Amino acid sequence: MEPENALEIFHLSKRYPLFSLDDVSFSLERGTIMGFIGRNGAGKSTTLKALFNIVHPDSGDVSFFGLPYVGNERAIKNQTAFSAGAFEYYQNKTLKSITEVTRRFYEKWDDAVYAAYLKKFGLDENKTPAELSEGMKVKYSLCLALSHNAELLILDEPTSGLDPVSREEVLEIFLSLVEQGKTILFSTHIISDLEKCADSITYIQRGRILASCPVAEFQNRYKIAHFAHQADIDECSLNIKGIRRAKEGFTALIEKQSGADKQPVDESAATLEQIMVHLEAEKEAETHV
Amino acid sequence: MLLIPNYPYYVVFFYACLGVFFMCLQGRENHDIFYSLLLPIEKKDIVKARISAVVLVELAQMIFAIPFMLIRGLFPIPGNQVGMDANWSLLGLSFIMLGLFNLIYFTYYYKHPQKVGTAFAWGSLGITLFMIVAESTAHAVPFVVNVLDGPNAEHTAVKLITLVVGLFVFSAMTYLAYKKSARSFETLDL
Repeated sequence: MEPENALEIFHLSKRYPLFSLDDVSFSLERGTIMGFIGRNGAGKSTTLKALFNIVHPDSGDVSFFGLPYVGNERAIKNQTAFSAGAFEYYQNKTLKSITEVTRRFYEKWDDAVYAAYLKKFGLDENKTPAELSEGMKVKYSLCLALSHNAELLILDEPTSGLDPVSREEVLEIFLSLVEQGKTILFSTHIISDLEKCADSITYIQRGRILASCPVAEFQNRYKIAHFAHQADIDECSLNIKGIRRAKEGFTALIEKQSGADKQPVDESAATLEQIMVHLEAEKEAETHV
Repeated sequence: MLLIPNYPYYVVFFYACLGVFFMCLQGRENHDIFYSLLLPIEKKDIVKARISAVVLVELAQMIFAIPFMLIRGLFPIPGNQVGMDANWSLLGLSFIMLGLFNLIYFTYYYKHPQKVGTAFAWGSLGITLFMIVAESTAHAVPFVVNVLDGPNAEHTAVKLITLVVGLFVFSAMTYLAYKKSARSFETLDL
């Protein structure tokens, strides 16, 4: 029987002088899309790089399709695509010659699929990466990642630098890939990407995983409370998180299970973006105390 | 350059080392290591591929040098006045020099792939010292002066043995360079 999870990460840690990844664990179910979110510098790219030993973790284990990464590097990389944003390599070679070299490494490279994505993204093979805009470089990177029949795609900010129409296109490609049974993990800080296509999210904050669960579940954990004056906040007995100034008064997060019904508070449903900014405000406040 | 009548012939093989430096420099500018990391290969394969390519370049230069070494021997003029003559032992000793370069250069380079220049500086320093010592022995050490130096026709067997020993030392040092580099590169963060 095939393993249920395409990716499992157990207790991954990496210590740097000013930052550390701390006991990162989460798993990704086959045939789903997971959004990996967190603010700049939260550890998204470091985590993704650590999956492939590009950053060498101090401790922890990673397994793909039930196989540990260590010892199965080649097989796993053949079934996986990793793209780290824009294509920043060999700036003065034509896309054609870069692809010609790249394709030879993959067991299941598919020229027809590659040609179809080139056309879809409007990429000219005779151009060099130096001649492409940032967005087009991202598209070329995606094009390479999508052309070797990978079962699992791990994409670091695949939508950053893309115009809204292209972003939509890329997200639609994700949805159709998942329909074919593929699995996708992508990092982003564009929250609407998640709303469009993610089944689950993993939220990382300063190197620690804050949540890893279905999008709806995460969203249902919180509500937004509105306060007109500072005094209202002080009087409120609820556990409120991440107070931020709003145009009129203040807003804060409240956890749904915290007995919010007992006290009349002006509240509304929380969007992912609101949850994120308030959780970050909470963290800021904690650090400054 | 082996046809220059009087010249420190070891320098000829330094040019291969310079080539290695440019190869890695270009790799750095093209972010070659990161590109390679995305391919379905193991991390140590990146080291293996680079060192293999360098060995091919070094061997090619050595093979290409052989006819010129032989031609230099045909000149009806005295041997090299600077140091070692162009003969089989020069090639053998140069193999040791290249092995030394590979060991110093790659061990440093795969710990700090961004510092191509520093790696090259250390490698060059190592082989410069080697050249100074090697050329000095061609004037001062009787065995080198009488047996290893001089035309190929004299002490041919010892000269050929020097070549074989040189090739062996080169292989051992380069293999050690690969082992050490692969180990440090495995734990390197990029």
